[in-house]
Amino acid sequence: MPKGTIQRAYILPGLPHLTSQMPVDSWETLRRGFHQAGEQIQKVKPDVLVIYSTQWISVLGHSFQTHSNPKGLHVDDNWYEFGDFPFDLRVDVDLTTRAAGIASSLGLATKTVNYEGFPVDTGVLVTQRFVNPQNTIPVAIVSCNIYAGQEDSLTLGRAMRQAIEESGKRAVVIACTGLSGRFFTEAIDPQQDRFSRAEDDTWNRRILDLIAQGKSAEVLTLSAEYAKAALPDMGFKAFAWLMGVLGTPTAPGKLLAYGPVWGTGAAVVEYAL
Amino acid sequence: MGEGKILAGFLAPHPPHLVYGENPERNEPRSTGGWEMLRWAYESCREKIKAWKPDVILVHSPHWMTIVGHHFLRVPHLQGLSVDPIFPHIFRYRYEMNVDVDLADVCYEEAQKEGLVAKKMTNPNFRVDYGTIVSLHMLNPDWDIPILGISANNSPYFYSTEIGQEQMMKLGRATARAIAKTGRRAVLAASNTLSHLHYDREPELVEDMNKEVIFNNNQYQWDMRVLELMRKGKTDKLMSILPEFMEKAAAEVKSGGLTWMLAAMGFPQIPAQVHGYWTVIGTGNAVVEWDLTTGVMQ
Repeated sequence: MPKGTIQRAYILPGLPHLTSQMPVDSWETLRRGFHQAGEQIQKVKPDVLVIYSTQWISVLGHSFQTHSNPKGLHVDDNWYEFGDFPFDLRVDVDLTTRAAGIASSLGLATKTVNYEGFPVDTGVLVTQRFVNPQNTIPVAIVSCNIYAGQEDSLTLGRAMRQAIEESGKRAVVIACTGLSGRFFTEAIDPQQDRFSRAEDDTWNRRILDLIAQGKSAEVLTLSAEYAKAALPDMGFKAFAWLMGVLGTPTAPGKLLAYGPVWGTGAAVVEYAL
Repeated sequence: MGEGKILAGFLAPHPPHLVYGENPERNEPRSTGGWEMLRWAYESCREKIKAWKPDVILVHSPHWMTIVGHHFLRVPHLQGLSVDPIFPHIFRYRYEMNVDVDLADVCYEEAQKEGLVAKKMTNPNFRVDYGTIVSLHMLNPDWDIPILGISANNSPYFYSTEIGQEQMMKLGRATARAIAKTGRRAVLAASNTLSHLHYDREPELVEDMNKEVIFNNNQYQWDMRVLELMRKGKTDKLMSILPEFMEKAAAEVKSGGLTWMLAAMGFPQIPAQVHGYWTVIGTGNAVVEWDLTTGVMQ
């Protein structure tokens, strides 16, 4: 069996605002980026979409979805006005189980999750809606352990890479995460959506510029400072996980879209590998 | 309609382990027991609540975290399967609850009068969080009393502990006025643990009490200090050390439930009854009651 490969990788936002029909400039920009990513993914016809979502929070180590067909109806805790998310996912159980096993052998606390009615998170479902709307591509889903630091996140990514290589599959890998994380904490007119702090925008652009130059290692080095300054989504550890999967490449990440969502930063970034 | 009143407030921790240990029909996983000190503590509270025949139980839960304001459940009937995203192996619970939507409306109005951002959650497909469900089950497993769920606004984390606590005090005052205006006889529940550092690995048998110990002695000492103040009715002192407790013991009360409840009760300087204390996966948990039917607030 040939070694599995990673065809493409993405950083994608996971806020439900983007699935609404609201004609907000920045949301439109992000939707276009999302659609562009989705078209590319459909063209590549991967065997599996591997998704790490910052909105699937775990505390007992790292969780892996191993139910073959999670289905149900999800409503976001915060943004329930943006509608319901019916879901009916096909999970690549073999790949996910193997990734969990490898992660465990590397010293990480892991759990597989195989329960009817388990609440799939908003990030995964937003991603699905844009890039896999017909549910034609199986998924492998990994949680965001709130206590994991950069090293553990890199290790978790490496475990997934090894599992993909062993599987012989062609994968597309997605880090579903926001950038700067300062939400507006009051009702706003969505048409007036903007970054809640100009400094956060500056920080996001600095990070995205480095990504565009292929300076992934530098982004990892800066991540702690970025986390302190701009409060990125879950400390931006999704990026560390992605770098673990990709081996911290020098390939540039192409920025497809960038803008604010309710004051926070969001971007669509593509790695063509 | 007479003026409503708050009958009692409970510190009502929500580890799903307590439901799991009890083995109610509604929860799918089966256990061999465990955490009896807390479960028996809750049993004492159940009897009192039944005897009071309250109109409503209000619960403030840290596991319904909201960013834009303080939210109130505003759907008359909610039901579904709650699978805990953190502990799915021990909590898969079929819930069904009636919500006091009239009270929700007035709480919403009063919260706005306090200058708070408030919202009514009206999506009928909303999945109620496990913190709300566990606290309510442990207080009233028959689910025969209407409830009102209140979210934990993230202000203590977005801004500061001080701003967060201020918001919870306003929310408490608003809640008390809403209860008075609607004529409700209400029980309050702050769905909070105390010290909150915990282990990230479980024993093979989840309910193996041989492995159940406090995360560290500092947490234990803090929990006891706080409980002692509650027992002595030194509520002002309790409020003054809460910020330090939150910082030193990563106390979950930072999410606001306890402050909301004490504010709604007018910070009663009456001895609280500690029904029980035990650890759950290393966190400190106590079931504590402020009975206003016999105290100075009657």
